Amino acid sequence: MKQPGPEKVLKEQKIDEKWWDNWIRKGGWRPEGWKIIEMNDGPTLNNLRPEKFLIVHRPHGNMFHHSYGKTSKFFMGLLEGKLYGTKCPKCGLVYCPPRAHCFNPKCRLEETKWVELSKKGEVHAHTVMAIAWPSMAHLQPLVGAMVRIDGTNTCLPMTMRDIDPEKVNIGLRVNIHIEKQPKGDLLDVYATPAEKPKAPKRTPEELKRFREDMEKTRAWVKKTFGK
Amino acid sequence: MAKKVGIVAGSISRFDNPRHTLQEEMCAEAVKMILDEVPDLELGDFVKKGYACCYSYFSDILEQQQCMHWIINDYLGLSAVPCYRVESGGATPIDAIVNAALWIRSGMFPAVLVVGWEKMDELPIQKVNEAIAIAGDTDWDFVSGFTYNAFYATMEARRMHVYGETEEDLAQVSVLCHNNSLENPYAQWPAQHGFSKITIDDVYKSRLISWPYRLYECAMTSEGASALLLANEETTKKLTDNPVWISGVGFGSDTMRAGDRPDNPAWKGLYPEDEKIWPKHVPAPMSPYPDLCNFGALRVSARMAYKDAGIRNPRKEISLVEIFDPYAGVVLAGLEDFDFCKRGEGKKLLREGVIQPHGELPCQLSGALTAQGHAVGSTSVAQVVDVYWQLSNQIGKKWGAPGRQLSKPKKGFIHGHGGTGCQAGAVVLEV
Repeated sequence: MKQPGPEKVLKEQKIDEKWWDNWIRKGGWRPEGWKIIEMNDGPTLNNLRPEKFLIVHRPHGNMFHHSYGKTSKFFMGLLEGKLYGTKCPKCGLVYCPPRAHCFNPKCRLEETKWVELSKKGEVHAHTVMAIAWPSMAHLQPLVGAMVRIDGTNTCLPMTMRDIDPEKVNIGLRVNIHIEKQPKGDLLDVYATPAEKPKAPKRTPEELKRFREDMEKTRAWVKKTFGK
Repeated sequence: MAKKVGIVAGSISRFDNPRHTLQEEMCAEAVKMILDEVPDLELGDFVKKGYACCYSYFSDILEQQQCMHWIINDYLGLSAVPCYRVESGGATPIDAIVNAALWIRSGMFPAVLVVGWEKMDELPIQKVNEAIAIAGDTDWDFVSGFTYNAFYATMEARRMHVYGETEEDLAQVSVLCHNNSLENPYAQWPAQHGFSKITIDDVYKSRLISWPYRLYECAMTSEGASALLLANEETTKKLTDNPVWISGVGFGSDTMRAGDRPDNPAWKGLYPEDEKIWPKHVPAPMSPYPDLCNFGALRVSARMAYKDAGIRNPRKEISLVEIFDPYAGVVLAGLEDFDFCKRGEGKKLLREGVIQPHGELPCQLSGALTAQGHAVGSTSVAQVVDVYWQLSNQIGKKWGAPGRQLSKPKKGFIHGHGGTGCQAGAVVLEV
């Protein structure tokens, strides 16, 4: 018998834990204020009466130390600018997102092998986010595409750049890129069109509405973030 | 022959947001309504007669409280009563009902109280979205830059491409749901936006969320609670003279990540008749059904529930339907996955008025998730209560709107699901 540990750190990009430790020790759960409000209450809209409530402002937060497990090689690949997937040696399915075990019911959870993937693919489905995550709000309107990387049997969701949101279409060939300074995070991966995009069919009203939506979204971004 | 499970009573505590009432207080309101309606039911019966409780709520994060049901259970005066919580994302409340029905069928408990609730006003809306989105895969979905809205939007874009659904179809679904909710005194839409009808232009004027979905085509975030008292045949008949029966239950599953579905060998050959329906202009994936167009978990759960209830022709036999519709397109996909029409034809049922309140197959009479509200753990419990009130001829009394009672409905179908269709449940009710 052998013990699995201790773990050896091979490489590390340190986080500044000081600011966080300080906040989590002094700030977490400490009430930061309160207000008293009055509002109608009752189980149905036919049965309401005024009530007073006290609301307390209570912060909390956490830092998670998460392992990517046996799919870690995908993220290590990003750090080297490479795209990896896994392949089942029994049935040949290729996964990206990778799986360490094949999910084909016939393969009885066969362990997969790593393969390097091409940086080309195709849009399987798409959207245009007029509301993205707060960290990406400055990129709105943001095209999101489910991309089938060539040779894989799955779709990897990623955002797109250098494309007119109006023109993104299902079947569009794309080039897949990894950020020049990767953080080892899925957001390092993005796609750009590899051919001239063809706009999906829209009625004149739909097209007018779509353009207005894009204008409004861009105006909001300009107002909020400048430029 | 499976043992019969009856609905003795159901209740809803309203859905708007914020309500500021504590979760245990909303639950007490809902359970109190059941106690008022069933005078022969005593809270002490739960211990004395061996009843149980099944609790339904989705998130521990929205309020930073784990094991909320322990608070609820003791607040309701039910200490010592056997209970646990069921959680499966958006499918939480429907799965809690399925679970309770199976408990009763097992013969273990003569009656089970299902209580469902959610509180969603404590965090800013972006953080609420985040809390919901971590029900997606946080290694591969959430961190790709996609919001939950975006995943459903890509699936709808696929439906538009493969089936020719249009933005107008989605807007019409939204109009149907909102206008259906206007006389519902438990609904969030009228509580916060007033009692006038909306039009398709109002939907178009609502802001774009993630193309093709606009604000009015997405579920609201809500608060509220609801409860159902289920019992075996003998107890049901003892406690009420106006019972409705749960004649079928089902549940199913699919991949966590929607992106893993197109070539998933688990679906290949499972529904060959659906695999054949595929347009020439789109290359077919290895498993054409469900791909990203449909929801396989919904199909599995529905066919299980129909088989359980002995339903052969759902379109003919079912009088009304409540679909769990976090986004408008799910109504159209659902109609297909539940065998009310062939895949791709959901839009036809909509365009022909079949699912309107006076159509052949009224859908979303409550207003459903976009208008009645989506306090997750309460959502499908409330939808089941709405259908139960229709089947037991009580809508007039419960809503104060006699005009909304359907004429002698016989069977109702209610469905719920979680994630991007990762898990689904279904219930058939009949008088």
